[in-house]
Amino acid sequence: MALLEAHGVTVSYGGLHANDQVDLECEKGTLVGLIGPNGAGKTTFIDGITGFTPIAAGRVTFDGQDLEGLTPDRRAHLGMSRTFQSLELFEDLTVRDNLFAAAERPKWHSFLRDIIQPGANERQYVTQVEWAMELLDLADHADALPADISHGQRKLVGVARTLAARPRLVLLDEPAAGLDTAESQHLGQQMRGLLDEDISVFLIDHDMGLVLSVCDYIYVLDFGRIIASGTPTEVRNDPIVIQAYLGEEAGEAQARDAEAVRGLTRDGGSSDG
Amino acid sequence: MSEIFFFLLLGLGMGSLYAMLGAGLVVVYKGSGVINFAHGALAMYGMFTFDTAWNRGEFYFPWRDFLPSHDVNIPVRITLASDGSWPMVPSIILALVVAAVLGLAVHFLVFKPLRNAAPLGKVVASLGVALYLSSVALLNFGNAFPIPKSIVPSDPIHNFLGLGRTYPSNTLWAIGFAVVMGLGVWCLYRFTTFGLATRAAAGNEKGAVLLGYSPQFLAAVNWVIASVLATAMAIVVGPLQGPITPMGLTALIVPALAAALIGGLRSIPIAVAGGFALGAVRTLLDIKKQDWFDGPLLWLQDGISQSVPLLVIVAVLFLRGHSLPIRGSVEEKRLPLSPQPTRMLQHAAVWIVMVALLANFWQNAGLRTVFAGALQTTLVFSIIMLSMVVLTGYIGQISLAQMSLCGMAAFMMSRMMADGLPRGSNLVPVGGPNFPWPLAALVGVIVAVLVGLLLGLPALRIRGVQLAVVTIAAAIAIQSIYLENDELTKLRAGVPAFIKTPTLVGIDIGARSGRFQNERPAFAIFLVVVLALVAYAVSNIRRTGTGRRFLAVRANERAAAAAGINVARTKLLAFGISAAIAGIGGVMLAFKQVEVSSANFPYLASLAVLAFAYLAGITSVNGGIVGGFLVAGALIPVGGNYLLSDANLEAYAVLFGGLGLVVTAIIHPSGIAPFFAGAWRVMGNWVCRMTPGAVTLRDGYGGQRRRELSVVLLAMWVGAALFVYNATFIEPMHWRIPLTMLLLWIATVIAATSGRYGPFSPNFAGARDEWASWFRRYGAWAGVGYVLGWLIWPLRVDTYSKLYMPLLGAGLALFAQMLYMQTRSGEPHDEALTDAEAHADELEFEEVD
Repeated sequence: MALLEAHGVTVSYGGLHANDQVDLECEKGTLVGLIGPNGAGKTTFIDGITGFTPIAAGRVTFDGQDLEGLTPDRRAHLGMSRTFQSLELFEDLTVRDNLFAAAERPKWHSFLRDIIQPGANERQYVTQVEWAMELLDLADHADALPADISHGQRKLVGVARTLAARPRLVLLDEPAAGLDTAESQHLGQQMRGLLDEDISVFLIDHDMGLVLSVCDYIYVLDFGRIIASGTPTEVRNDPIVIQAYLGEEAGEAQARDAEAVRGLTRDGGSSDG
Repeated sequence: MSEIFFFLLLGLGMGSLYAMLGAGLVVVYKGSGVINFAHGALAMYGMFTFDTAWNRGEFYFPWRDFLPSHDVNIPVRITLASDGSWPMVPSIILALVVAAVLGLAVHFLVFKPLRNAAPLGKVVASLGVALYLSSVALLNFGNAFPIPKSIVPSDPIHNFLGLGRTYPSNTLWAIGFAVVMGLGVWCLYRFTTFGLATRAAAGNEKGAVLLGYSPQFLAAVNWVIASVLATAMAIVVGPLQGPITPMGLTALIVPALAAALIGGLRSIPIAVAGGFALGAVRTLLDIKKQDWFDGPLLWLQDGISQSVPLLVIVAVLFLRGHSLPIRGSVEEKRLPLSPQPTRMLQHAAVWIVMVALLANFWQNAGLRTVFAGALQTTLVFSIIMLSMVVLTGYIGQISLAQMSLCGMAAFMMSRMMADGLPRGSNLVPVGGPNFPWPLAALVGVIVAVLVGLLLGLPALRIRGVQLAVVTIAAAIAIQSIYLENDELTKLRAGVPAFIKTPTLVGIDIGARSGRFQNERPAFAIFLVVVLALVAYAVSNIRRTGTGRRFLAVRANERAAAAAGINVARTKLLAFGISAAIAGIGGVMLAFKQVEVSSANFPYLASLAVLAFAYLAGITSVNGGIVGGFLVAGALIPVGGNYLLSDANLEAYAVLFGGLGLVVTAIIHPSGIAPFFAGAWRVMGNWVCRMTPGAVTLRDGYGGQRRRELSVVLLAMWVGAALFVYNATFIEPMHWRIPLTMLLLWIATVIAATSGRYGPFSPNFAGARDEWASWFRRYGAWAGVGYVLGWLIWPLRVDTYSKLYMPLLGAGLALFAQMLYMQTRSGEPHDEALTDAEAHADELEFEEVD
């Protein structure tokens, strides 16, 4: 059984199906990518899986457990954590405290110990927070506020915050957006490194280079539907993907070339576009 | 049935006022996105302006000259008619003009500068306006409240609508006015370009700018409309509800908010209808409660009609909490950062030395009593303020019911202590389990926590400003359902609840001395201990996971949930902790008051507590403690009073609080605490440097012993202060100080050489050198200050002690020198300060590993 399984996930906003019958699997120990043009419903899919958006139909399981009815924080406790495209860091906390806030799993009485014996509760989380900071080279900025570090570093804080809880699966929503090529490559290596730490990765990104180079398996989403899936090589050569994705994202010339075939395939692919 | 119908009709009179105020709230919200807690206060000031003009022939500006002198005075009162009565029509026009000007002033001076502020900032600013206006009104118009004359005919209509009862015709007029004005405003927004532009700006401010409308101009016009409408309606309806009081009219905000929420903060006609309905139901309940709430429901009889707005507000917010409009403003600022508590022991040292000195500062017995009382007030309110620090500062929720929680705890404790014997002024015995005070206090705090958790429940559904609305309604409900409810408290009308004197292992630690004055030092020490524990707890919350989760929720609820934080439970935890602290504060307040009544916990006091906490800096522990110094009756107003030769500053405390709140919200949202933190650091250094040699002596020690020595040093300082004050047996007074210094020195040496700390420190010679260099460096300054103080003391010989004036002079001189050195160098790590820094580090609490 795969770590994360989504069957027929449908998310609707009003009459619009932002996700329509999405089937997706993420095996343990793999790095799975989800790509698709703007507005394809990638972030909606993560929102649906992590409990931020109600799922109209379909079933999601994590490690065999049905996620229906679980709040986002319960899902995080199961070992599934996510980043946000817009970062959403805790701006009032230092980088280290951002990580600690996500790492700690308090009991209802933890506050009493915090009051009487400050510092006792966090001891058990120090290693994993230090590990996450080391992994993303944030140790130098541990005591800085998020507002005082660069955009690239803020991105890394977002990723580190999900890792600090030692999840089994991280869902990264465009972690490379706004990073330059070298930073993006480095991030790719770091993500591959996570697999060795027993953390599976689910990656959404626009950076085709990054996705194609690091992922083990790729799903392609367009207009809320999965239109293709396969290994990076298969996806790269899939004509439907080239039309749907590269046809819009790439330069004018490619767009003109794709225009000829577009009309033919689109009719069957998605009528609501 | 026809009877009920008639009473409902009767209630439409009050309902018309709720309706108009509710419509005004909607207008202001549309115009500027502010939920205006000062709306009742605006109506109140206009109403009083009208009434004093018409019936007394006087006009008061909305401010006070708080330092009246013989030469230069700010005009406050204008006599309009020397015979004491001005004609009605000019009076109305005057009141409406005042209302318009107030509306404009509030917009341009307060909310325009705050247009991008955090929602909490806007709420506290409007609370500031409300506090300011209501306290100015109390001071200007006096507290002999008139029953206003009606401007419309008030002849009774007999056999109204064939119901066989007499109906006052002015109620009909009021209803008519409200309906006409409501329709007028509705048409204005529905059919004119101005209305269209306002609605556009409410939906999308940026878009409105791009279309060429000035949102600020639109907002200003809306403020004027709302303010004038409210005043006009208050003038018409005012006479219906008996004597008018600044408090009562300001409190109208609660039913008005209920009406506005019924209209979804969007629809004027629905808000008007809601206001009418609310007034009708309330009046009906008021009249029929004795029949309907009897037997098992008897306990509801007193509070039910006052609680209607709460029920309505809660129902509306739960049903449509998510559909209330949120204004699409350009940019929103966050609450100020909440600083990590550092150098806690140093802070504690400074606070304790300060309190000990203040407590012993006054030689004159009368003044000592006054200041001892002020000290008790200060410490109690510092505790209460810390509850706001947790709730608002850490997790960003607003509660306007903190004093009500205090009241719950105090009343519950009194009840748990009661033993069926008549005590104090309560001659009708109250039965109870006769618990010892710690147990009774615990029960009180637990009850406060339960009520606090209940208050927190709406926070799971709604945020920020709307929560403030719920809690202010809850404060009024708690007051009327419990605190003022004879049925539940078993107190006969108007009689306060009695609190027994607390004792600790047989020692009396009560607040009152034998002559019924709040001056017992034992109680102040008790308070200091409780405050220190609470402050330590609140600091620990900030430094640990609990506080991180609070701040995470405050910063971003979505991200907090994604990080595995249970937002609902975290919020409830904050409400619980905050309520526990408020409960402790309430218990201590009860011990201080000895007899408590609902008048000790009015809803307005909750607003004042929030105001002063925000003013002082609601995000830090220091801010909470400083906040306690600012409230009416605390050290700063009382001390200011004294220094400004009896300017009666105490009466102005709330006024200044409101004004300060507005100014703080606008120019410096993090409050004045950061300034104190800086000043404390300097003063902390100063206190350390005043013990020459100590640091050198301690250089040989580390870890635990170093910390112990810090405490010994601190104790020596407090001891020295007490010694100087009490050593009356040393007749030539000026010998006392050198003698004290000598004793301090000997104590340092003894501490450093006692068995506990081993033989003479190897640095003993160094300590002697330091002692000498201290004198070389500071002796001159201290001496000059001392002499200056000595020269000045005869000016206030009646009050200032001959001893403390020179000492104060010396202290001030040293402090000034330190500030001078700091500013001259431009940075704190000046050569002259490095050793002070070293001293300060000695007092630093070592990081918890």
